[in-house]
Amino acid sequence: MKGLTYGEVTRDILRPLFKPSMAYWSMLGVCLVALAYGGFCWLTQLTYGLGVAGYAPPVFWGVYITTFVFWIGIGHAGTLISAILFLFRSRWRTGVYRAAEAMTIFAVMTAALFPAIHVGRAWNAYWLFPYPNQRQLWQNFKSPLMWDVFAVSTYFTVSTIFFFIGLIPDIAAVRDRTTGLIHEVYKGLALGWRGTDRQWRHYMAAYGFFAAFATPLVLSVHSVVSWDFAMAQTAGWHSTLFPPYFVGGAIFSGCAMVITLLLPMSQIFGWEKYINMWHYESLAKMCLLTGGILTYAYGMEHYVAWYSDNVYEWDIFVYRATGDYWWVFWIMVFCNCIAPLIWWFKKARTNLTILFIVSVIINIGMWFERYNIIASSLAHQFDTNSWVYYSPTWVEMGIMIGSFGWFGLWFTLFMKVMPSVAIAEIKELVRPPLKSDEVAA
Amino acid sequence: MIGALMGRPAGPTPGAVKSVFAHLDCLIEGIDQLKKAGYSNMIVTSPLPRHEIEEQLYEGKPSPVRWFTLCGALFGGTTGFTMASITHVNWPMIIPAGKPLVSIPAFIVITFESTIMFGSLFTLIGLILMCGLPATKLQIEVQDPRFSDDKFGLVVNGLSKVDQAKAQSILESVGAIEVTASEAAHA
Repeated sequence: MKGLTYGEVTRDILRPLFKPSMAYWSMLGVCLVALAYGGFCWLTQLTYGLGVAGYAPPVFWGVYITTFVFWIGIGHAGTLISAILFLFRSRWRTGVYRAAEAMTIFAVMTAALFPAIHVGRAWNAYWLFPYPNQRQLWQNFKSPLMWDVFAVSTYFTVSTIFFFIGLIPDIAAVRDRTTGLIHEVYKGLALGWRGTDRQWRHYMAAYGFFAAFATPLVLSVHSVVSWDFAMAQTAGWHSTLFPPYFVGGAIFSGCAMVITLLLPMSQIFGWEKYINMWHYESLAKMCLLTGGILTYAYGMEHYVAWYSDNVYEWDIFVYRATGDYWWVFWIMVFCNCIAPLIWWFKKARTNLTILFIVSVIINIGMWFERYNIIASSLAHQFDTNSWVYYSPTWVEMGIMIGSFGWFGLWFTLFMKVMPSVAIAEIKELVRPPLKSDEVAA
Repeated sequence: MIGALMGRPAGPTPGAVKSVFAHLDCLIEGIDQLKKAGYSNMIVTSPLPRHEIEEQLYEGKPSPVRWFTLCGALFGGTTGFTMASITHVNWPMIIPAGKPLVSIPAFIVITFESTIMFGSLFTLIGLILMCGLPATKLQIEVQDPRFSDDKFGLVVNGLSKVDQAKAQSILESVGAIEVTASEAAHA
């Protein structure tokens, strides 16, 4: 951040706020249309019941659980970037962490809709939370589904606190540069923050603790999500490989999503000084590492299935690659294992178009990965009489599309009302104004 | 009117000297000189956290927020494990093959997540209490929009007229770009 001053940083980052362009309204419109369509599909399901989904017994997990896992996974890169890289004092994190954290919160907010959608009678979704029923019977705390409720709600709470605490100094900067009603709103949100020595002292201590708490969550949340599957004795799921495999995949898809979101944002807002090739390249390298872990996991689960000599286990892996869902499997392999390899070439990972296209391909691949795991294992269980073919209906696909609208809506709104790059932290990268420098010059 | 209702000061604080700095090294020098001259009632305002400022004012003393974190984490972990154990013992489901009712591996996730959840919530409470948030009663001298942009503020409080003049001269000598004094607290 050579040659920049504190004043320039504040002005540059606050410039795009509150000035929506035509392109912005169009983006917001697209998100609203997608959300409205998703809302209509969910209303259809609420009216007619889960029969409108394409469930075919014994397949009762489908697109909803696939999309739930997809969005939870997306969130992981945000926490990785904001918490783990903070503790490691990684300098490239500073430019991108705010948007990545926002992505985390909105992704978890999107994922949290799906258990409610999936159970059908969404108005009873509060049964998930730990409290006794009228016969004093509590939930089963030995169930991985209950662990998941704890994992996801802790993840959402801690991420939201971490996110809002990080925002406070920047909200104060917005408050000091606005007038009228907008000023009053930010004055309330800034909680009287003035950057006094006392405030910064406790703030920095607390921020470190939040980062330390968020760090194990990066590893634990998707491990717990993977146990939703791995604890069940279903062929293709019952594997100790699942936690690292899921965590690797989650960070892989999350980093790709950060590229997908930040690349256009940085170009539109003219923030190349703060978010540039250094950040994209670092994210692409993270994808290469986690993509490598994922490819290894794909290979290893096939190898273990073959080596186990268990006929059911091996059959499911043959079925995935050559059976009814072969196309899902090969989309997954192409998008997650083959397409990102292009980033091994520096020319490719420093080309904005290639970066953007491959990041989108990865996200498509990661959705199909979860679909491949869920649909194929359930549709092809131990008893041949229970073999079915599950295919989603327009209602399920509509709700999935609507989830992208819901996520996009929050992210688009956030970009215009909050600084998407952390002002105070960027200033930490700038050389402080020193009298001694001026004298030397 | 609304400001007064929320407890905000209406005007300058008696006995205060406010200074504005454009350079960090001048500010640090200012704090150092004031400390040597016997002044201690200071508030330093900055647009970003700087270790130099914290070192000067607190001399490496850690923030007490960490005790909130520890208590929260211990409370959370204990609560999570206890809740899972008591509820299982309260309505026992005896599963053959010697499976225990209170099972550490089965409850470890609940214990872990509760530790993190309550540790974070208590840290948040600690932060709010220690920082005095929402800080609606901060004196007018620190409420300068430049301090969230590119300037540093140093306010000295509780001064007599003589001390105000002395503090002013110290602050001007170290390179403050603006020094103002309010009415003295006492003669």
